[in-house]
Amino acid sequence: MTKPSVPVGIICSQSGPYQAMGREILKSAMMAVDEINNHAEFEFAIAPHIRDPRGIVSEYHTVCDDLIRNVGVKHIIGCYTSASRKQVLPIVERTDRLLWYPARYEGFECSDNVMYVGASPNHNVLPLVRYVLDNLSREIFCVGSNYVWTWETNRVTRELVSAADGHILAERLLELGESAVGHIVEEIVRRKPPIVFNTLVGSSSYDFIRAFHAGTKAAGLQIPMLSCSLCEPELAIVGPASAGCITSSAYFESIRLPENRAFVARWKARYGEESSPSVDGQSAYVAVYLLARALQRAATSDIAEVRRAAAGYRYNSPQGPVWIDGGNNHCVLTPRLAVSNPQGQFDIFWEADAPVKPDPYLTQLDVAVSPLRDASAGVLPNAPHLRVVK
Amino acid sequence: MSRPSSFSLRGRKALVAIKDERDATIVRRQFERLGIEGVAWTPAEPVGFTPDLSLIDDEFLPLLQPAQRASLARSPVIALLGTETPSRLKLVFELDPASFLIKPLRSAGIYAALVMAFERSERTSELKQQILKLEHRLKSRRVVLAAVLQVMHLHALAEPAAFALIRKAAMEQRKTIEELSAEITAKGMLPRAAG
Repeated sequence: MTKPSVPVGIICSQSGPYQAMGREILKSAMMAVDEINNHAEFEFAIAPHIRDPRGIVSEYHTVCDDLIRNVGVKHIIGCYTSASRKQVLPIVERTDRLLWYPARYEGFECSDNVMYVGASPNHNVLPLVRYVLDNLSREIFCVGSNYVWTWETNRVTRELVSAADGHILAERLLELGESAVGHIVEEIVRRKPPIVFNTLVGSSSYDFIRAFHAGTKAAGLQIPMLSCSLCEPELAIVGPASAGCITSSAYFESIRLPENRAFVARWKARYGEESSPSVDGQSAYVAVYLLARALQRAATSDIAEVRRAAAGYRYNSPQGPVWIDGGNNHCVLTPRLAVSNPQGQFDIFWEADAPVKPDPYLTQLDVAVSPLRDASAGVLPNAPHLRVVK
Repeated sequence: MSRPSSFSLRGRKALVAIKDERDATIVRRQFERLGIEGVAWTPAEPVGFTPDLSLIDDEFLPLLQPAQRASLARSPVIALLGTETPSRLKLVFELDPASFLIKPLRSAGIYAALVMAFERSERTSELKQQILKLEHRLKSRRVVLAAVLQVMHLHALAEPAAFALIRKAAMEQRKTIEELSAEITAKGMLPRAAG
């Protein structure tokens, strides 16, 4: 018997400056869709309607409008940058639809019509900067793409660094897709900062990492680089120059959980042994499953019912247990820190002891207290916030 | 030692006067996310505490009791506007709002309105202090002028030299020019530095 189908929109750019991530999101979302459609547990099938805004910000509005007006979807998975999400937000709010947004973002938003499945700023920026302040340096040189993700990440970084009596040595910004990175690398080589924080996205980031690696190597320098977004497929794109980057993320392919081992095996069987899932892709996979389970529990695609059914419902995903915090529609998840290795993988050296509540407005942020010593931010109040992963 | 982030609103207490239950629910939910305690209020009741901030629905305007207006004036006010008609805006002006939100409310905009209201209130407070200081100095100008004339006469000096002498003496005695001028006019001479 054919299962009834639920139309779901999928918006991800397959071309443009961050096409690589868009393709990863689509691959992961489609893997989840096919698994759900072939699984007896689900009493419905998801009918995906894929749209490609080609990395053009205004196109996100157009394709979202088309999905809602012409296809009649109630649920949409996708968008990558905050600029793209902000294009879709007014339409989903006006028409009372639900956007399942997979990417980590800078926070300071809380729409009832968005499920924020990716990391909140307290999941990625805070552990990374505090690790650096506690262990490496109080002086940071920032390089980023000129948009809201970098602006806010730099603002939080500056606040934490200033509270620790440190300094932001520079904030250098490039337009999205910009490839002229030589002048920044020259400045870094000349000034020799102890740390470089890279919040560039897409091709700009890949160009910068290669030039940075070549420039510092030629000058005999070893300067650690930080990232909140670098992932395995990007390590493959960048090549050997990508090794040694300290990265904060909720997902790495190297997570040693049975759910992740099974996920990676299915991924490789589908997309090839050399292929790797990414953090945003895995998050899109999680988003499809969270949606499907909420649809199943609600027994309707009605927005209010699905939102209620999704809140607090724990899913043992590849990245570990996750659930939507009903108070703010953001995902409770486990932050991790890792360093990229020459084999194109990440060696995880820190992870939170328990899933951490999302704090999109950084309401609980105390700028002078390290989470290494502060247990209050975690779900488990008596557990140490972070532990070393061996 | 810990302190909240400069943009964290955690621990603030707000007076909330909102008629529509849907709008009130949106504010309650957003306050919970931001760590703000909201206390519901209607103009029929006395204000039983000193809020850090007030959200006042234009449906409750005008506030008839001067005591209520005075009470609200002690902290920043955010006006909730249902209409942009000049007649309604004139009523809202009476609250001297530091920020505003358009009804029906959405979660988006509330955080920005709160941050702007606190920032505006702080800057306005600084400006008021500055104005008070300048008004005081303006009033003192008459005394300074009298002191300059007195020193010009006593020491046979031109006006710039007399003023320079007063300023030097004020600096030596760690007093303001206005304070020293008041002493000169009272004593009829330049007071000597103590010690």
